[in-house]
Amino acid sequence: MIFITGPLYSGKRTFAQKLLGCTPEELERRAVWDVQDLARDCLDLEALADECSRREIVIAVETGGGVVPASPEERAAREAAGRLSCLLAERAETVVRVFCGLPAVLKGSLP
Amino acid sequence: MITLVIGGAASGKSEYAEELVLKSEARPRIYLATMEPFGEEARRRVEKHRAMRAAKDFRTLERYTGLPGIEVPAGSAVLLECLGNLCANELYSPDGVGAGCAAEAILKGVARLAAQSRNLVIVSNEVCSGGRDYAGDTLRYLQLLAFLHRRLAAQADNVCEVVCGLPVYHKGGEPQ
Repeated sequence: MIFITGPLYSGKRTFAQKLLGCTPEELERRAVWDVQDLARDCLDLEALADECSRREIVIAVETGGGVVPASPEERAAREAAGRLSCLLAERAETVVRVFCGLPAVLKGSLP
Repeated sequence: MITLVIGGAASGKSEYAEELVLKSEARPRIYLATMEPFGEEARRRVEKHRAMRAAKDFRTLERYTGLPGIEVPAGSAVLLECLGNLCANELYSPDGVGAGCAAEAILKGVARLAAQSRNLVIVSNEVCSGGRDYAGDTLRYLQLLAFLHRRLAAQADNVCEVVCGLPVYHKGGEPQ
């Protein structure tokens, strides 16, 4: 599995499509994105990470780099999203962070 | 040697910083905790971090403000966690020095720690990647922390950002 992360609108999905050489429709089958939203209220992040990892590509938005949210629910959701990303990075053969459309390989190598 | 480890919420920065201290030959290992455990959530967080350090031979020192007078054993490995809390405490705690003197107090404290220890690892929060739509106290906090990040990064031997548990070095490299 290749895990792709990066800030909002940084070009993660476009990069994934390029990497797979596929159409947006095909990407829906082969990849899963916005998994940070699945972490909210999730009771078993390890199981969620396992399930996501069955796809070829998993994409998450980096959400932990802003001001600490005032509401406890938002803080917990952000914490869960970050934790999920760590778990996905552990499971991935390759981790790529896309910044302004530019990929930086943080783990492994690109196929 | 100073290593600055910065990351967002739940980025794995604490675990990584701790690993750096465990790899270091410097002894004793000092964990300098800066978070005042107000409320249940903070207490749980402190517990979580205590559990992580259990059986790892860390001596815990709690200092919420006032680093300039701090004493640590010569030649020690110090894990300061974290700069974000220290900033908030100096700005807003009744014991803090307030907005006018916070930066100077923290920089002095860090310089003292660096002089006494052999290996200083400073953990901090990335909080400036969520836009600029802030004012008042929040803006002041962001400005102070960002200023300290720039100053300490200039002084540090190594500057590392942790992304989903993986280190990305912006200066230097993983200390050997």
